[in-house]
Amino acid sequence: MSAAGRHPAAAAPIPCPNDGHVLFPTIDFAIFFAVVFAVQWLLVPYAGAWKAFMVVASYVFYAWWDWRFIFLLAASTGIAYGGGRLVHPATGTRRKVLLWTTLALLLSLLGWFKYFGFVAVNIDNVTHALGLGRPLPLVTVTLPVGISFFTFMAISYVVDVYRGVLRPARGIDVTVYLAFFPHLIAGPIVRGTELLPQIRSMRDPDDVHYVEAFWLISAGLAKKVVLSSYLSAHVVDPVFANPHQHSALEVLLAIWGYAVQIYADFSGYTDIAIGLALLMGFRFPVNFRRPYTAIDLQDFWRRWHITLSFWLRDYLYIPLGGNRGSEWRVSVNILITMLLGGLWHGASWTFVIWGAYHGVGQIIGRQRRSARVARGLPAEPTGGARVAWAQFVTFQVVCLGWLFFRADTVGTAFAMLGRLVVGWGSSPLVTPLAVVAIAAGIASQYLPDDWLTRGLKVFADRRPVVQGGILGLVLLAITTLGPQGVAPFIYYRF
Amino acid sequence: MSTTPPPKTSKSDEGFVPYDWSEPETYRPPAQARDPGPGPGRSGDHAFWERLPFPGVPWRRVLTIGIACFGLWFLLDAPSLQHSAQVSPLGSRRTVALDVVGPMAAFSRTLGLASVVGSADRALGRTPGGGPALAVPTRKPKPRPKSIPVAGITSPTSTTLPPLDYHPTPAKPLKVLIVGDSVGLDLGQPLVNTLASYGDVSTYLDGRIDTGLSRPDYFNWPAELRIDLTNQQPNLVVVMIGANDPQGLVTPEGSRQFGQPGWDAAYSARVAAFIAEANSVGAHVLWVGMPPMQDPGLDAELIHLNELVQIQVAQVGDHGASYLSSTPALGDKKGAYTAFLPDASGAEVNVRTPDGIHLTPGGGARLAAAVAGAMQTELHVHLVPGGAEAGPRP
Repeated sequence: MSAAGRHPAAAAPIPCPNDGHVLFPTIDFAIFFAVVFAVQWLLVPYAGAWKAFMVVASYVFYAWWDWRFIFLLAASTGIAYGGGRLVHPATGTRRKVLLWTTLALLLSLLGWFKYFGFVAVNIDNVTHALGLGRPLPLVTVTLPVGISFFTFMAISYVVDVYRGVLRPARGIDVTVYLAFFPHLIAGPIVRGTELLPQIRSMRDPDDVHYVEAFWLISAGLAKKVVLSSYLSAHVVDPVFANPHQHSALEVLLAIWGYAVQIYADFSGYTDIAIGLALLMGFRFPVNFRRPYTAIDLQDFWRRWHITLSFWLRDYLYIPLGGNRGSEWRVSVNILITMLLGGLWHGASWTFVIWGAYHGVGQIIGRQRRSARVARGLPAEPTGGARVAWAQFVTFQVVCLGWLFFRADTVGTAFAMLGRLVVGWGSSPLVTPLAVVAIAAGIASQYLPDDWLTRGLKVFADRRPVVQGGILGLVLLAITTLGPQGVAPFIYYRF
Repeated sequence: MSTTPPPKTSKSDEGFVPYDWSEPETYRPPAQARDPGPGPGRSGDHAFWERLPFPGVPWRRVLTIGIACFGLWFLLDAPSLQHSAQVSPLGSRRTVALDVVGPMAAFSRTLGLASVVGSADRALGRTPGGGPALAVPTRKPKPRPKSIPVAGITSPTSTTLPPLDYHPTPAKPLKVLIVGDSVGLDLGQPLVNTLASYGDVSTYLDGRIDTGLSRPDYFNWPAELRIDLTNQQPNLVVVMIGANDPQGLVTPEGSRQFGQPGWDAAYSARVAAFIAEANSVGAHVLWVGMPPMQDPGLDAELIHLNELVQIQVAQVGDHGASYLSSTPALGDKKGAYTAFLPDASGAEVNVRTPDGIHLTPGGGARLAAAVAGAMQTELHVHLVPGGAEAGPRP
């Protein structure tokens, strides 16, 4: 595990698959960010120098993991920049050909690094079973971190230029846009229309929104380092590794625990990213809006990984036809979108099943809404009890999807479902602390905003040194309560 | 969807354009446009920060706050950081970290602040200052069988054992303790499942990532093994440790870098002592070697490590310890690294993770089958297929 939390230096060189990543909750990154923060504000009056510095800082950040892949990031940037420049003045068929060529190039990079191994082994096994040999070489390709995120951002840039909502940007601006380190590893997926204007504009060095930023970073660290890591180590990983060895109650706790873990892990990481960007004067879009308070799957996807779900809507679902056409056609569009959205998360059948599950769920939810409206009822449930019931059911439905998302294989997922029925026995993993952690993770989503803003108001009214002291104690609490070593970040590989 | 703001000056590409956040027609944070609202029964969406409800301040003030924050944290946590630096791999990074953290840790101890975090660690049942915590003893150690010295064994506590030759029964199940590092965990988890498919076998897996025998100051495996042996009282200990071990050792005589004179002898002594510890309570050891690695340098290092282990196992003799090479199960036809291997039906299965080090679940299951086979052929354990579909742990 890379340097993390209060134990920055592990004894071992080969701990976890993400060893060496410059993840946010590390001392290495804290030092890196302190330097970048000060220098970039000093350079704000000098646009060219600022952009050059930010490109270098971001590429250093990426090279920390594996320097060879900075060429991949540069290649994606070059393709997006060139595509935008060529598509913009072109017309007619040439414009479409240039767009599709650019998209094909971007997707081919993603396809090779992320999907080749999966596709090759499946094709080879089918052809081998049919007696046709093994036509494709079997290789394992190292998955560059963040490739899915910066590829989707590059696609959004080119398509926005094609659609005429974005003018082609200068090369240096596109380079900063795609490499900007706060979003580079795991999003949020920030569009050109959101970030390029900010890169081009002068940010006010006397107007840094630190209260919001420190809140996001502190909450993100607490979610990632304390809650996610605890659940991962003490509940989720042991059960998913050996479901046959665990009782029904433990399996149930692990499924709920994973729902909280993945939320705490991913939303924590993007909260930190958004907070870091805010400290540098940049505003990123919201990525999570209390997803486990959703009342149906459609609502869930408006609240979970929002920048991805809206990306899929704008760059996949709508081009497929969106809501236009027959009900059958709309259902097909939803299913294709969610299937590909599932596959975006990883090259595995479990992700395909997870995507299909959510696609079918969305189709059913859409029909239920239509049926309610046809009966003269509101599309969404109203009244406290009905809403609470809808939220409870939706959470369970989402959890069932997470089971397939987390399981190593489809067989493991079904084994866990089987244990839910027949797994009677002792449940040593069901500890009060584990139950409280999961309950707190869910209950925190129901905290009123007023409570949070009132608490932050108290902080905002203090003097800087006192504020620093408060944050120091918060940091100490996080590093003390966090496990010794932080669980591998879930979403970096997507 | 918002559009790009038009440049306000002709030199937009040379410098920043003064930008007015209040101009909705040029830029509006899209998330505001996407806001679905709190929805029924909810107050707020936890994205209040998006509206920037608190006033901004100059960046230098933010830097002051940040320095105060890290200063206090550093002061309070310095002893833990110092311990972390001490147990990190030998090298210049460790030296610099110790030089930086040392004075602050001493200052923190002088002020009595170190006890704040130390008390919290103890309250949480952890090793104060770093390293995974050891297991909690649940039983008192049993009196050990009389040790019989065996010529050539480097450990002072060597014990001769009779052949395992075990017939598990419901009244006398075979108790297997599996210990390992992160690669050992990759084996251990499928091995628990594999052995569960045989009747009358109970398993206990103790896997610790980031660990090995090289740095007991980070994680003390001999002490952990002692606790595990007392708690579990196993008949057999399956060991797969070593992937992290090609690194500097700290010995009473000083530090020894991997490859330097003295390293092999020091590491071999630790392996021998580890085996002897298990043997001393009557447990046999099955040591599983590290598989081929994708990186040629690491592969060569681990081949050397495997050889050291094999020598120690051979010195114990046939009964107390056995060595199982993982290369036949996970290597290609030439015994080299491969990521894909055919299963029984001929379908190719990915057996190694993309890092070229760890095992996939498929690879772990393949090696677990080899271990179960070795238990039968080498250790003469009579495993009966068709045991209970594993229930919860005993």
